[in-house]
Amino acid sequence: MKKELLKKIIEKKGKKIEFSVITNLEDGKGCIFEKDKPIDKNFEKYKNEIISQFNKKNNGIIEGTNIFVENYIRPIKVIIIGAVHIAQYLINFAKDLNFEIFIIDPRGYFASEQRFPGIKISNKWPKDALAEIKTDQNTALVALTHDPKIDDPALQHALKKEFFYIGALGSKKTHANRCARLKETGFADEQINRIFGPIGIKLGGKSAPEIALSIIAQLVSEVYKK
Amino acid sequence: MKNSFDEKILDEANDWLSSKQSVVLATVIQTWGSSPRQVGSRMIVNDKGDFSGSVSGGCVETAVVRECLDLLKEKKPFKKIEFKVSNESAWEVGLACGGEIAIFLEQIN
Repeated sequence: MKKELLKKIIEKKGKKIEFSVITNLEDGKGCIFEKDKPIDKNFEKYKNEIISQFNKKNNGIIEGTNIFVENYIRPIKVIIIGAVHIAQYLINFAKDLNFEIFIIDPRGYFASEQRFPGIKISNKWPKDALAEIKTDQNTALVALTHDPKIDDPALQHALKKEFFYIGALGSKKTHANRCARLKETGFADEQINRIFGPIGIKLGGKSAPEIALSIIAQLVSEVYKK
Repeated sequence: MKNSFDEKILDEANDWLSSKQSVVLATVIQTWGSSPRQVGSRMIVNDKGDFSGSVSGGCVETAVVRECLDLLKEKKPFKKIEFKVSNESAWEVGLACGGEIAIFLEQIN
């Protein structure tokens, strides 16, 4: 592999672009393939097969050839409401899993660059902050403030969209109250039941890193249920 | 839906290159049976035999390091290697779990 190709791959990964790396195992030549962009002339004759493997997100050798295709898909986006202690541990797990993270917390002293270096942070209220973030079925919402005036608007936003995971921190009682409030606002039980609450799988631990682990475990298991 | 796998091996390869090390990239390109790592899994090896990442569950990494060092010594740009089910001989390198894998080794230059 050429150094230039390696640098291009790293750059595109950083920009969260979907692409494939194509390698000819016979001569070692490689290139990047992006949908709707012209393909490297060395690989022109395999174009249809490459597009097919790209669309199927299928890594491997194209049958009957020596062409290896490896796909880079867009990472899961995780929006965390509440720059709380648990969030600090959550982002460490999420970074290792290559999730793209956003933190929203209108309380500036919580969501500071110093507490969350290198993370995209918004100090706006969730309603305004979420309006600026593009979301789809690869997006998850993790509400951690258990403060209705911060969490509720975020949950309402997510319930109206395609989020694959919506979780909210709080005891069973807190969650029951939350569900009742959402019902009053006009959400149907079916919609409200999409929320994982109390958030996380049952681990038993009560410390911030343990709760973060239980949340991330639930989130990952939902990724593979889709 | 799948998450985008990224064990940051390529980023690490870039760091190694920046510090003037020779780097060989090993990528799992094909698997048969119950191989421990999926297609696309990677490891990197430098000219001292240091390595990072994985192409199996620890079963064949030592042999891959050796192959990578040979590649550098022989100044070959790339090579394909395969590992099959291990024999009864406990000392033989192979996949104890019974799978087969093909790995593509390539120098980054």
